[in-house]
Amino acid sequence: MSWLFQFAGRQDLFSILMSLFWFIFMLIFLIYPTFSQKIQLSYMLRDIEKKLLKLKYFRDEVRKRTIDHLNRYSDGKIEVDKGVDRLLGSVVIEPIDRDPYGIMYKLEHIVNTWEETFENEVKALCPKADEKTVKTLTNLVEVARGLDYIYRIIRHYYLLGKKTSNIYIVLQVQMILPQVMEIANAYRQASYAFARGQPIGDGVGVLAVAKLVDGMEKKTYEIAKDTVVQEAFWNGRKLLVLRAKGPGGAVGKPGEGVKKLIEAEGDKVKAVITIDAGLKLEGEESGKIIEGIGAAIGGIGVERYKIEEISKAKGIPLYAFVIYESVAEAITPMKENIAKAAEKVVEKVKRLILEKIDDGATVIVAGIGNTVGIGMT
Amino acid sequence: MIPRKDSEKIPIPLTHMKCLKCGTINSRPFREGDYVFKEVEEKCPKCGHNKMRIIGIYIKEEKEKKKMKLF
Repeated sequence: MSWLFQFAGRQDLFSILMSLFWFIFMLIFLIYPTFSQKIQLSYMLRDIEKKLLKLKYFRDEVRKRTIDHLNRYSDGKIEVDKGVDRLLGSVVIEPIDRDPYGIMYKLEHIVNTWEETFENEVKALCPKADEKTVKTLTNLVEVARGLDYIYRIIRHYYLLGKKTSNIYIVLQVQMILPQVMEIANAYRQASYAFARGQPIGDGVGVLAVAKLVDGMEKKTYEIAKDTVVQEAFWNGRKLLVLRAKGPGGAVGKPGEGVKKLIEAEGDKVKAVITIDAGLKLEGEESGKIIEGIGAAIGGIGVERYKIEEISKAKGIPLYAFVIYESVAEAITPMKENIAKAAEKVVEKVKRLILEKIDDGATVIVAGIGNTVGIGMT
Repeated sequence: MIPRKDSEKIPIPLTHMKCLKCGTINSRPFREGDYVFKEVEEKCPKCGHNKMRIIGIYIKEEKEKKKMKLF
């Protein structure tokens, strides 16, 4: 026993036990070099697990809200929950891009088919809903689908990281999770907005063009799917205002609309002005208006491609107005400073028209965005 | 785990309406069926006219506490 006391520096029994404990602990690190990494991994996995549980809660909440809302327009003959689950799991396969020739039209064809199918499926689930409500409900199901996809992706990497004990997979998931959670929460709020038909931040472009022609004498007609044109005269200039048909949730086909308008009007069109919401950088003010050159239009690129293609062929200048907002603000109910920006941008557009467009000429003004909660003027 | 704190944070927008007679602007919490540019049969608090037009639906932003920002 004396050797043990000698080892512990002639201290009491507690100190001896503590010394032994530390000795064994150090030994583990020596014979098991990845021990520290294992501890770190378990902490990281636990952090992801907590957030994944929150994501699951969001996903289930939005799914339930979607089903409840769709049930209000159902005739009871079809099981809405099964239909919604089928739509949540549906996929869109992008066209092969090894031969990029004509890829935009292939992409357009696939997206058009998907949108049409999706809308028809929602219509079949909700026979009591009118056309405007079907569009908003389709958006609602798309939001639920987006959130479900986010949840499944994060769950996949969490389980993969756990199964393989691969700290590098887990680390990457943990690194992007704060942004993912922000987007997921935005999706959750978006589901409220779509369920109630409230205008969202993305609709600021549509709101601006609606305010532009508000009070003017005009002729309204449909030019492409869910897309309308309002023809008006202002200070001797002919305005062709293009936007998605509201107040149901739709983005329309602004590219197709602009193409058809330019083909119909010929050389009379002297400019195409696009107004859209754009992503701000951190630290930048929401609702800030930026002027630029080009086509301000997001999405997969098909609509922008069409505007660029026709304007290049006809030599028409493209002017853009972008209203800054965050990803979350774009899909959640509109905020005051974004709504106020719509009024300010109208004045800027009017000034641009007076400066760049001659008397008697025609100008196309396209308001880009989701028109949920924004009616026609 | 149910994130209680988050489940409460769903802001309700305000519907802003303009009287078609006197131009008075009034607001109330959003109701289902409201949309921008819709004409609603609601009494103007100033002149009593019963037709108003929705001119905006948005979330009123709370005034941020003045913080010193470096960037």
